[in-house]
Amino acid sequence: MQDKMFFKDLAYTGAKDFKSGKMGRRDFLYLCALAGVATSSVIAGDAEAAANEIVLWNWGGDAVKCHTSAFGADFTKESGLPVKYDTTGPMQGKIKEMVNSGNVTADVADADAFDAIALGKSGHLEKIDYSVVDKKKVLKGFAWDYGVSIIFYGYAFMYDTKKFKSNPPSTWADFFNTKKYPGKRSLYKWANGALEGALMADGVSKDKVYPMDLDRAINKIKSIKSDTIFWGSGSEAQQMIVNGEVSMGMVWLNRAKAVEEDTNGRYRLNMNEAIAMPGAYLVPKGNPAGRANVMKFIASCQVAERQIEILRCHGMTPSNPEAFGMIPDDLKRFAVTSEENLSRVLLNDPIWWAENIGPALNKYLEAIG
Amino acid sequence: MLVVPLFGLIIVLYALPVINILWLGVSEPELGIQNYKLLFTKSSLVKILWTTIRVCLITTLCSVVIGYLIAYSMVHLVGREQNWMLTLVLISFWISVLVRAFSWLTLLGRNGLLNAALVSSGLSEEPINMIRNEFGVLIGMIHYMVPYAVLPLLANMQGIDHRIMDASRSLGAGSLQTFLKIYLPLTKPGVIASSLLVFIISLGFYVTPALLGGGRVLMVAEYVSVQILITVQWGLAAMLATLLLSGVFALLYIMSRFMKIGEIFGARP
Repeated sequence: MQDKMFFKDLAYTGAKDFKSGKMGRRDFLYLCALAGVATSSVIAGDAEAAANEIVLWNWGGDAVKCHTSAFGADFTKESGLPVKYDTTGPMQGKIKEMVNSGNVTADVADADAFDAIALGKSGHLEKIDYSVVDKKKVLKGFAWDYGVSIIFYGYAFMYDTKKFKSNPPSTWADFFNTKKYPGKRSLYKWANGALEGALMADGVSKDKVYPMDLDRAINKIKSIKSDTIFWGSGSEAQQMIVNGEVSMGMVWLNRAKAVEEDTNGRYRLNMNEAIAMPGAYLVPKGNPAGRANVMKFIASCQVAERQIEILRCHGMTPSNPEAFGMIPDDLKRFAVTSEENLSRVLLNDPIWWAENIGPALNKYLEAIG
Repeated sequence: MLVVPLFGLIIVLYALPVINILWLGVSEPELGIQNYKLLFTKSSLVKILWTTIRVCLITTLCSVVIGYLIAYSMVHLVGREQNWMLTLVLISFWISVLVRAFSWLTLLGRNGLLNAALVSSGLSEEPINMIRNEFGVLIGMIHYMVPYAVLPLLANMQGIDHRIMDASRSLGAGSLQTFLKIYLPLTKPGVIASSLLVFIISLGFYVTPALLGGGRVLMVAEYVSVQILITVQWGLAAMLATLLLSGVFALLYIMSRFMKIGEIFGARP
């Protein structure tokens, strides 16, 4: 497996070198043979095949199925370019490493907005071309120089309806009030969302959350530390609730529907004060398919119908305002940008996170450890 | 001469990346020893290192005691029974660390098998928090490390000449005295070898603390990965990795002062 990945990488860079004349034809053919890729297209005389495709770097799991049904299939139909997937998860450190190594194998990454801002600043990304990508098809303020929001995900909490039947919790203040609402809690292990929730619980109004008062947030988290367990992945968060380990648990919004179904409605999502996180499509510098192709791909992901499909399939909320009104009734409750939710959620500030993630995360880890 | 290419391979694939890590520790974000200074100025780092060492020491102690008991009973069994025991030890040795962590979650969780039994039988009113804390991490790690403790001990015990114990008994020593004065000292190399092995492997544990610790038991390996992938503070991560690596080398060096390391890990003199 590892070997195959390695040779695939080699073939990708080989194709690039061949195109730019840095590598001879024979060497490239040899490389392709080793890698077992694209040989048929090489024989047909199309040596650029390995580079003539879009590689979308995502987080695996359902993402491959859903990115294909929502974006990939239609784009291939329109452009003739196949869309392939790298499912290893584009974390900021990995993107930086890929660009630094000079061996860029992904064209576009389904990453966080704060990654786009931080890596754009450090020179690791291609600029988004807004003559191709349409700024009007993005919620105002969520199109940046080096990344553009295609979807929102988010954090919210779910609660045990059996335990809190008469007076269900509806705010982060309730979540942090273990006297009035006894029981265990779960929060995200890597600080995102948890810090915002803590500040709102401590009485900070939504429009004053950023720039965050870290010490205040950390103190609030410490106040429920002994009753709280922390999760690092979506499945873990889901498991903590479904197994009844917590009476209120934070989740990624795209998991909420599954949890309600798995628990036969015993656990219910509270969308009030949910934290909407802009995802960002970003392009690693020197991407193999070239800037023009990948911009066309990103623009094609802005089509409203396709964004509705990604909501239906993957639980990610559209960022294109045209799509907001098209959200199906049964999904409105789970979508951060639906009419009923948009005004009561907190929109994450990726610029604050891009600048402060190091100290914020390390302080948080120190507090919960 | 035939070993030259192999040597070259080790240099390129192993030594260079390690040197690169050492270098990152003093060159990111800028040239200097600022990352190492953090050890004295940032109390959280000391706390993480201390958690790691404490968890690894307890794991080592418990695994070696349990491993000693298992190995001891194995050498005193014959034929089929011994094979059965060895098979059982090896089976748990081969099961993936992830599967084991999830099994513990199912067994020891708040609504898990054990808690359900405790609560329904009235032995406990509330479910006991056995996982998502340091205790859970220890259970998971000890369970994982016991086979590693058994195998060196078993090899050592199988090499002991049992006539020595017979001689001790015939000279009038009781069974306890024979064990304490003859058998235990003879198994010292095995005990040291398995302790060393268990401790060194424990230092790098990642999955078990992450899953069974409920986010509250942060060990060095997981912290390093966070600094590389999320906060992108590679200098800090490299410094901690270097510290871990030199810790392991220091341990091996100290041990080598007392005994031949090669023999512990099975090399014939």
